[in-house]
Amino acid sequence: MSDTNPERAGGATGVDPRALAQTIVFSGVTVVRDGRTALDRVSIGFEEARIGIVGLNGSGKSTLLKCIIGLVKPSAGSVSVDGRDAVGEARAIRRATGFLFQDPDNQIVFPVVGEDLGFGLKNHGYSRAETADRVEAALTRLAIRHLASRRIHELSGGEKQLVALAGVLALAPKTVLFDEPTAHLDLKNRNRLRDVLQALPEQAIVVSHDLELVADFPRVVMIEAGRIVRDGPADEVLDHYREANR
Amino acid sequence: MTTRDLGLVALMAAVIVALGAVPAIPLAAGVPITLQSMGVMLAALILGPRRAAAAVSVVIALVALGLPVLAGGRGGLAVFAGPTAGFLFGWVPAAFVTGFLAMVLEATEKSTLVRTAQLTLAAIVGGIVVLYVCGIPWLAFVVEIGLAKAFMASLPFVPGDLAKAIVAAVVTVKVRQAVAIERK
Amino acid sequence: MIASLARPGSSPLHRLAAAPKLAGLAITATALFFVDDPRLLATAFALGLTVARSTGAHFAEIGRDLAGAAMALAVLGLADWLLVDGATALAVVLRLGAIALLAHAVTMTTTTAELFEVLERLFGPAERLGLIDAGRAALTLTLAIRFVPLIVEEAQAIREAQAARGLDGSVLALAVPLLVRVIVRSEAVADAIDARGFPPERAATAPPRPPAIRPEIEADTP
Repeated sequence: MSDTNPERAGGATGVDPRALAQTIVFSGVTVVRDGRTALDRVSIGFEEARIGIVGLNGSGKSTLLKCIIGLVKPSAGSVSVDGRDAVGEARAIRRATGFLFQDPDNQIVFPVVGEDLGFGLKNHGYSRAETADRVEAALTRLAIRHLASRRIHELSGGEKQLVALAGVLALAPKTVLFDEPTAHLDLKNRNRLRDVLQALPEQAIVVSHDLELVADFPRVVMIEAGRIVRDGPADEVLDHYREANR
Repeated sequence: MTTRDLGLVALMAAVIVALGAVPAIPLAAGVPITLQSMGVMLAALILGPRRAAAAVSVVIALVALGLPVLAGGRGGLAVFAGPTAGFLFGWVPAAFVTGFLAMVLEATEKSTLVRTAQLTLAAIVGGIVVLYVCGIPWLAFVVEIGLAKAFMASLPFVPGDLAKAIVAAVVTVKVRQAVAIERK
Repeated sequence: MIASLARPGSSPLHRLAAAPKLAGLAITATALFFVDDPRLLATAFALGLTVARSTGAHFAEIGRDLAGAAMALAVLGLADWLLVDGATALAVVLRLGAIALLAHAVTMTTTTAELFEVLERLFGPAERLGLIDAGRAALTLTLAIRFVPLIVEEAQAIREAQAARGLDGSVLALAVPLLVRVIVRSEAVADAIDARGFPPERAATAPPRPPAIRPEIEADTP
């Protein structure tokens, strides 16, 4: 894991994140799950290259993220991504919008790294040759080519998270949604993920308890009990968040 | 089958394998039991007929793929021609019947005791009666001992299986108190 | 991943494709049930030993793999002898022993991947009969193989934690938390599978693809 070069790993050189950013719009979204209101009439738009989302456990952060790719269907209101409806056109949205789950063990479905990276590509109709090319490129991009034929079960938590991310990046998404990406990582792997995230040319929406991860973002949103209560530059919102939960 | 069903089926198959891999646990009477056959009852009582039958089919397929997934590390094609193969293939109808009975018998408003009793009954009918109906004729055929003697030879396993049915029912009631899951 | 019972090698059986091996095994096993002559069955048993040994595995290894089966066979042979007669007992033991050896020879010389391909080919007709969805069936199997070691570890961790709390050996204390965790995890797994674009779309309806971002190309860009 020590061979990481963040600039190369992220491959950000010369790529302007804003060129990839999609416009995500929540219009009056309410989500009720198991009798609990997870999101309460949320209306908000995202088009920045970096957006952080903070809030306590159960505040609705993950639900908000899952609504974007139609994994959670709003009880009322609607979500659109570049004009596409998140529920009705989920497939098209998922092609351009990757999702990195909190626990990489839940995201990796094949027993061997190389096979797993091809899963999303095959689902989206890429040919065998093209799948191999893109898997190779994604492994190179995150500097984990040496893991290609390893069994998932033998990997460390940090390696698994990078494999899961490589599976997402292999599809060349415009946006990547991160759901508490550092929750299962030790300090070293957390720092590595932060470096990768910083260098990522894709638009990134990051839900995190790890406030440092979003500290230099141009925009951070704070959620409380299913509502947006603060929305602004990172320092401003994070100060308020720290103050409110002292 | 939705993706969610697919996930449940695959992970429950993995649980059945895992229960064959953990060392046997002594039951109340001190008799150690292997937990794998109880895993089949649990899958059926929790998932319902179709998904449970699918989950045990997955385990059988893993055996065919040469993986040592049965209790004691057994696996591979030799199992299919062995004297107890009928009990292995019997898992599919056993799981289906157990799951079906659990689905039609258990209603949520009844007391925990009544529900446990109903689930125990489902596990006995599916996990013992149906399973033995599949296993005994095959045993009788390959060992050439006739149905009656094959039946007698299987009787010593009944008390242990009854105990597993009761434990499976108790576990199921507790699991379903913790997470909501619909049988299908 | 679970270690397969297959062993690497280059014996004739290793080089033979999976499908003919399986077909040959099925035909031989079925035929042996029509044979009652103890001399023929003894020949079959000797053949089974020869074939199993020809894979390069030593008798000690084969014995270890088939120990459970051998024990069951010994008990049944004994029961046969007491309940029926010695001739039947001998025939049953030789026949089942021969089949077990031949079947294990196939298992030892065929990788999980090769067998998986045969299984996938069988999914095709089953799909046309409306019995299964081949893509989903294959994914379910893969997923089970992927999650077995994880869940075995989880089961062991729960047992250790319970032992630390003095609940050693309680079936309830193992099964309840294990199942609750598995059910919760399966939801997350299903979400992740959906997020990664499953089920696959038909090629005809695939929209144009975004270009791959290649690190080599990016590195050249100033």
